[in-house]
Amino acid sequence: MSTDTDEGLFGDIDLGWEHTKNKLFLGLIFAASMFGVVMLALLLLDVAHTFYVGLTEFNISLVQFFTVDGSRRPELAGFRGAIIASVMLMLFTAILAFFIGLGTAVYLEEYAPDTRITRLLEANLANLAGVPSIVYGLLALAALVNGIGTGPILIAGSVALALLVMPIIIVSSQEALRAVPDSVRNGSYATGATKWQTIKEVVLPAAMPGILTGTILALARAIGETAPLLMVGALFTNRMPFGPLDRFSGMPTQIYGWAAEPSQHFIHLAGVGIVVLLSILLTMNGVAIYLRNKYETEV
Amino acid sequence: MRNRSSDTTDRTVNRRQFLAGAGTVGAIAIAGCTGGGDGDGLAGTIDASGSNTVAPITSWTGENFQNEFQDVLVDVDPQGTGAGFQEFCRANSAVQSASREITDEEIALCEEEGVDYDFLEVGLDGLSVVKNSENDWVDNITLEELQMIWEFESDIELWSDVRDEWPDEEMQLHARDSASGTFDYFTEYINGEMGNIRDDYSATSQTNEIMGAVADNQYAFGWGGLGYLREIEDDQPIEAVPVESDVDGDFYLPEEDNIEEGLYSPLARPLFAYFNLASLEEEPDLIGSFAQFYINNAQEFARDEGFYAAPDEVTQENQDKLDSWLEQVGFDRDDLSVQPE
Repeated sequence: MSTDTDEGLFGDIDLGWEHTKNKLFLGLIFAASMFGVVMLALLLLDVAHTFYVGLTEFNISLVQFFTVDGSRRPELAGFRGAIIASVMLMLFTAILAFFIGLGTAVYLEEYAPDTRITRLLEANLANLAGVPSIVYGLLALAALVNGIGTGPILIAGSVALALLVMPIIIVSSQEALRAVPDSVRNGSYATGATKWQTIKEVVLPAAMPGILTGTILALARAIGETAPLLMVGALFTNRMPFGPLDRFSGMPTQIYGWAAEPSQHFIHLAGVGIVVLLSILLTMNGVAIYLRNKYETEV
Repeated sequence: MRNRSSDTTDRTVNRRQFLAGAGTVGAIAIAGCTGGGDGDGLAGTIDASGSNTVAPITSWTGENFQNEFQDVLVDVDPQGTGAGFQEFCRANSAVQSASREITDEEIALCEEEGVDYDFLEVGLDGLSVVKNSENDWVDNITLEELQMIWEFESDIELWSDVRDEWPDEEMQLHARDSASGTFDYFTEYINGEMGNIRDDYSATSQTNEIMGAVADNQYAFGWGGLGYLREIEDDQPIEAVPVESDVDGDFYLPEEDNIEEGLYSPLARPLFAYFNLASLEEEPDLIGSFAQFYINNAQEFARDEGFYAAPDEVTQENQDKLDSWLEQVGFDRDDLSVQPE
């Protein structure tokens, strides 16, 4: 009988306890995986509650919120200046980071020989991705704001954010380029195309969805960054910027400023601001996911 | 053929309509950018540094000034009085808010950097001494008792150490830490020397933490800026203690009349706005108009921001100062875009 054999072999093992351990461990890792989700849910609930109270008890008008700049008087304050500033920040960050990042990725994937210098470059890019964001702010502060003496202007913030997200764009672009099969490249060469023609006409179009997805995710990270902007000094301007040389305060810094006010009205304005910022972030992430799914099956 | 050509015409018209539309939108946008500032020539950026406490008044003044002169930006960075003077004395800011007068060290720095300055008095702030509402034994406190409690190496541990009839319970002491101008002021005027304070109280940079701790504990005692007390005293068990006046020896609460009449002394302090006179010389109309605007509205704006108005004599003194600055830089007061009220 099989049971006899079992008792003979595993007679000294308390199977019940082993099963309990199994279950305990399962419970533990399930709790671990739920921890983040629960925290996120609590955070969202808290923000939603503040948002609701802000709209009902403090009568924050969404129309005014989107059409008026900040103010010392909470009942006169809006978010327009900060939204416009963040959109302009994104624009200049994208321009600055995208071309340099993509160029680096194309060089590293398509051209660079596998030498020690290339490996050093790649290791440095990986390190750069781990640098705390406030350090980039410090760099922009020292080099631009104080060094060149630009003052806390929008383009200085964009430079800090562009430096921050460039490693992300490079790494995701590299992955997208790597995903293009070599057979596609060889096919192009077989028709007599040069290397540049192959990259321009075949590899980049095939990799573009992945590159764009990575870029959008990187910009979504940049739009929520507060520390570099604080470092650059973009906190106390309430008004809408009109160009890259104007002083500014982005959405995260405006929220930070409001949240530090003692008045409850300001704190609820900050809550409404967080909802706007989160909506924009989720939209950007949604676009990235859509792009990825749409082009996933091609090539 | 006909069809084709009419198609092309349609498309051209459409494109033209689009261009016209875009042009109109652009023109409106540009008009929106520059509108309002056309009538008066004031334009530029005024950098303001300084006190965290006073910044709300300067910001509110700046915002109203911006509303009047749309091409002006008043950029107020409230890094603290001390940090602000470091900027101001290096000519990085034209206006400096201060919750205390400039110190000798800062005067030396300004001299070294060749920054010539003067100040306006823009309002009054009260420091409140606070107790829990369930504390029914403290009806008032003298300046001597405050010093006994707070000075360096104070041996006061129990309430009964201060006055015999007070309970034999430990005092829980809460106050600001040494980073604040409020701390500088309290230690100088109560303990006799800036920075002189016992080292075993709960020190914090957040006035609302002090107020919260005192509201939580019957035996707690502390001090901090009045604005925060006003925010929470209606909802929480905390109240101000009447403090002895060094003017007439009576006890006064930090209330508007007592502060503005100068009876709540020494715990009411003047607030200042320092002006860089070189910046005034460079842009006399911009900086001068801002100073004039500040003088005209300081009483109202200080009250708007939860502080107290400086007396009318101070407004007159401020006006005399501005007049002499303008004379010094050779600018006619009648040419200012903002005129005295």
